[in-house]
Amino acid sequence: MLTIRENLLETMKGGNPDRFVKQYEFIDLIMEVPLGVEFNYGQTWKDHWGITWQWPEGQLGMFPVHHDGLAVIQDITEWKKTVVKPAIETSDEAWAPALAHANAVDRKEKFATVFYAPGIFEMTHHLMGMENALMALYEEPEAMQELIDYLTEYELDFAAVMVDKLHPEAILHHDDWGSQISSFVSPDMFEEFFLPAYKKIYKFYKDNGVELIIHHSDSYAANLVPYMIEAGIDIWQGVMNTNNIPELVEKYGDKITFMGGLHSGTVDYPGWEKEVVKKQVEETCKANGRKYFIPCQTSGLPIENFEGVIAYIDECIDEMSKELF
Amino acid sequence: MSKIEDVKVLVETGKSKKVAAAVQEALDAGDKAQDILDAMIASMGVVGDKFSSGEIFVPEMLIAAKAMSKGVEILKPVMAGDGSSSLGTCIMGTVAGDLHDIGKNLVVMMLESAGFDMVDLGVDVPAERFVEAVKENNNVVLVACSGLLTTTMPALKEAVQTIKAAYPDMKVIVGGAPVTQEYANEIGADGYAPDAGSSASKAKELIGA
Repeated sequence: MLTIRENLLETMKGGNPDRFVKQYEFIDLIMEVPLGVEFNYGQTWKDHWGITWQWPEGQLGMFPVHHDGLAVIQDITEWKKTVVKPAIETSDEAWAPALAHANAVDRKEKFATVFYAPGIFEMTHHLMGMENALMALYEEPEAMQELIDYLTEYELDFAAVMVDKLHPEAILHHDDWGSQISSFVSPDMFEEFFLPAYKKIYKFYKDNGVELIIHHSDSYAANLVPYMIEAGIDIWQGVMNTNNIPELVEKYGDKITFMGGLHSGTVDYPGWEKEVVKKQVEETCKANGRKYFIPCQTSGLPIENFEGVIAYIDECIDEMSKELF
Repeated sequence: MSKIEDVKVLVETGKSKKVAAAVQEALDAGDKAQDILDAMIASMGVVGDKFSSGEIFVPEMLIAAKAMSKGVEILKPVMAGDGSSSLGTCIMGTVAGDLHDIGKNLVVMMLESAGFDMVDLGVDVPAERFVEAVKENNNVVLVACSGLLTTTMPALKEAVQTIKAAYPDMKVIVGGAPVTQEYANEIGADGYAPDAGSSASKAKELIGA
């Protein structure tokens, strides 16, 4: 029997995995990284960029808010007046919990994986609101390019500290590039504004010992896959069924692995039902095959909203492994 | 190319800085304001169709809507007092507990471009607020409710049922990522649009325009 790590690599290279990779089993995620990202349930707060967030009680996530003058950038042509890179924690003390976790990872079985969010695209709209960010790409492209360069510099600065402190083997990097049915921007616009930024960021990680780039975008983004490959992404996590995953596996599987196929909203919901989950796991495993595909919830973290879902999905994946391997 | 054709192309391609002048030129050339408006509405119909088919993306739709609004600003004084161009008022909001606004804002733009007078209640809108808004505004012909989270689907249902309880004949359209036609039927909505691009044609169909 292959180790978890070996089985992942066999899956990714289209070799001879002996079972399905079970969701996030191959990563040991170091959430203690002092990113400055806060998760404050039921509260409203400002983050280290000055972005205002709200997490309504009873809901599953938090949202940046921009109404009533709350947006950090009111006028993209004057972004330099209001956007200031936060200080990056460099003290050993701040990194100690993350380092302790990194040192404790069983690297024979799992990849020591750091977490980074939000990515460049999300940062642009967190700072000024989605509509303004998207329109600015047309109306003030030079200013947007400057902003993107600035955000990229920050990411690279942070990456330098993170690889120095932790020597991670993988990164789980969040940046949602689309809705359920389309990418937010056209492939041409993505290529012009965001691909160069990601090529720099992911190249830096690769050049510094990070073997696996796992990019999370729980969306449609089939039209961006060639750019994902060009940017150096190894695994697209969050791929939704709206993408025609079998076609993507067939066309691009030898260059990138697709991780998803189980929409979190349809498996991880209040009062979730075993038969519903089991059916979806069966469908996604059978439809997408044993190579270049990892059955997983589209959620960007290995956590569940409603108790027991992850363990049950894993159980169903085990059953599919017995049937299909 | 006629002046109206110029306006159509400028709206479709989102040239917001040029549309106002083109609309003024069309008016100066003797084109009727209503005809110019109809042309712009038709352009936004094309934009919506292209979005639905994946030919264009959100930024293109946004700049087209902005261009249209710049054109409408020129037409408004000319058409003042002429209510014939309005399809009626539409109340729109994202339901309680849900702070998603992108899809909702896109639909507001598309419906506005189609000729509705839009009242945007924003996000996290309690069911009763939709009813109050119907009371507070004139000529309300449609209520549009958006919900983007599976966990706010009960709030979407509550909104639709509260509106229907207060105004049984009011047309209600729903949308959002987890929403399907089947779910819309189940909760008693009159219509469902799978994306912002198709929302305008569905809304017009519901009110018989």
